[in-house]
Amino acid sequence: MSLAKWTAGLMAGMSMLAIAAQADAGEVRVTVAEYSAKTAPYFADVKKEFEAANPGITVKFEVVPWDVLLQKLTTDITAGTNADLSIIGTRWLIDFVQQDVAEPLDGYIKPDFKDRFIDTFLSPSIMDGKTYGLPIAASARAMYYNKELFEKAGIAKPPATWTELQDDARKIKALGSGTFGFGLQGKEIETDVYYYYAMWSQGTEILNKDGTSGLSTPGALEAAKLYKSMIDEGLTEPGVTSNNREDVQNLFKQGKVGMMITAPFLSNQIKDEAPNLKYGVAAIPAGPTGARGTYGVTDSIIMFKNSKNKDEAWKLLDFLFTTEQRAKFTQGEGFLPVNKEEAKMDYYVNNADLAAFTALLPDARFAPVIPGWEEVAQITSDAMQKIYLGGDPEAGLKDAAAKANAVLKK
Amino acid sequence: MQNRFLPYLLTLPSLLLAAVVIFWPVWDLIQISTHDVSRFGQLRDFNDFANFAALAADPDFTAALWRTGQWTVMVVGGALLLSIPVAMILNTDFYGRGIARVIIMLPWAVSLTMTAVVWRWALSGESGMLNSALIGLGLIDHNIQWLASAETAFPMQVLIGILVTVPFTTTIFLGGLSSIPDDLYEAAALEGATPLQQFREITFPLLKPFINIAIVLNTIYVFNSFPIIWVMTQGGPANSTDILVTHLYKLAFRIGKLGEASAVSLVMFAILLVFTMIYVRLAMREQRT
Repeated sequence: MSLAKWTAGLMAGMSMLAIAAQADAGEVRVTVAEYSAKTAPYFADVKKEFEAANPGITVKFEVVPWDVLLQKLTTDITAGTNADLSIIGTRWLIDFVQQDVAEPLDGYIKPDFKDRFIDTFLSPSIMDGKTYGLPIAASARAMYYNKELFEKAGIAKPPATWTELQDDARKIKALGSGTFGFGLQGKEIETDVYYYYAMWSQGTEILNKDGTSGLSTPGALEAAKLYKSMIDEGLTEPGVTSNNREDVQNLFKQGKVGMMITAPFLSNQIKDEAPNLKYGVAAIPAGPTGARGTYGVTDSIIMFKNSKNKDEAWKLLDFLFTTEQRAKFTQGEGFLPVNKEEAKMDYYVNNADLAAFTALLPDARFAPVIPGWEEVAQITSDAMQKIYLGGDPEAGLKDAAAKANAVLKK
Repeated sequence: MQNRFLPYLLTLPSLLLAAVVIFWPVWDLIQISTHDVSRFGQLRDFNDFANFAALAADPDFTAALWRTGQWTVMVVGGALLLSIPVAMILNTDFYGRGIARVIIMLPWAVSLTMTAVVWRWALSGESGMLNSALIGLGLIDHNIQWLASAETAFPMQVLIGILVTVPFTTTIFLGGLSSIPDDLYEAAALEGATPLQQFREITFPLLKPFINIAIVLNTIYVFNSFPIIWVMTQGGPANSTDILVTHLYKLAFRIGKLGEASAVSLVMFAILLVFTMIYVRLAMREQRT
């Protein structure tokens, strides 16, 4: 190849880089998480409708699998090539705010806009009195139970306490034929959360009032002992540490698991994949004092401080949070409504599954808003895996609490 | 054109290219690892190698370092031991050799991540193919939870590592074998050499440069290999199957400690560099004598 051709090729490459780095005026780039196969088609429709209604603005959605979202954002922000808007886990928001990459939205939010939201879901995105994100997705956890297995085992109603849950699990185990009482998640994302359900019912919180880790409290130990005894007694599925949330959900869909705790989207999956499965949704069991807790999660959509098209980006946000758009997205993905008008729609009011979830919302805990939260969660998951594999609960929790406190002190 | 500088001039372009794609990132890593660094990679103050000190004090890092050694030695060693006979068989002329070669090479054509995903399913405790096959054959009477603990998960990961390394290694050896002239074997056979003697005196010595290349390339490749372990266990349960590269990924993108992650990356780079230099030297000295 001649030198001229090389130079030409190099120049072409350079100019492409230059084009990529420089966003067009009036273009809004949005990084969105792929929640399911329905996410990308939904945002493709949004692009069509929004661009038709707003000539001069083009929208570019980058749909990223949830697992690599934080990695992509980290590298994009480091390189300064981040989009104008992005969906993030609300538990990451504090990092974004502290590093000064998130733009406060208060200048754009009119009272009637703010009034569209249910407070429980908007409040996690507010920090130091400023709104940095809008809840694009909201979810909570409740207990699914297999009605057919319950009937066969002679159980009349879903367990109200963990003691009842253990009894029910024994009855289901006694049915034999490869059925397991309680599906226990022991791998990957939210392994720690699965443990918190038992911990919250003991009245223990993730953080004590003085800001130290709750893992060294007696309640935390009781909860760990409860799960460990259920594993030892064979009341859970075997190989707990090889099953992530999807694995346990699959066992539930196959009718092999009597009870499990997970998010509303399992109802949508069952409708598609196992329509004949007879199941119910109930509250998470309570502890001896009647305490109980579910995990509330929101994902927020944020605007980046370095965005060059903030007004256009806001127009898109305004569009995304209209009742009609919200309903389409939330119902497709199987989330909970964050919008007051939307929550009044027949779809939600007449849905028994979702009613069970919304009834639990007063008991919902959101991930604590502290820097280093991901590391504390990782420490907790690791500790639980060791205990599930046969480690001593007391020593394991003590060790984890010490590690977590070291992170929390920073 | 017998200019003494000509060779240097001719290698200059590739050297420049290497500088851009290799030295620049390494320089960046050095910067990040020796400074206090924000969640999103903004550099702050120089921090007296605190990131490296944090690594040395972290038992998870030392465990991952040791496990990376085991992983590399077992996968590279296993692949070599398996590939030599496979290559020798594929080098002989037999009916259906073309198909046999394709079958051996096929795992190479599938993406590593895809292979790992398929194996993750196959090793699933309740609905995995491997358990149903073993039960069907009457070898076990209850399901084995392959990925539930490191005792079973890590050996399986090593086996899969070997499986996906064999095609590449076999290709190198096939190239080596076809460069050995047939008359050597004919002469040896005339002199009454047994097949074992032929292997020890002809095949193995002449294959040695190719074995060296296979060792160096595979070591670099396996040492840095991410998908198999990440897809199957994410280094878990409780970090018990972590190797350096999965440990690094968690540090950087789960927990957000970019400084420590860059330090791990530099340690890995240094280990590979030292290994390659020592090994290439040893191999070249051997060839000279």
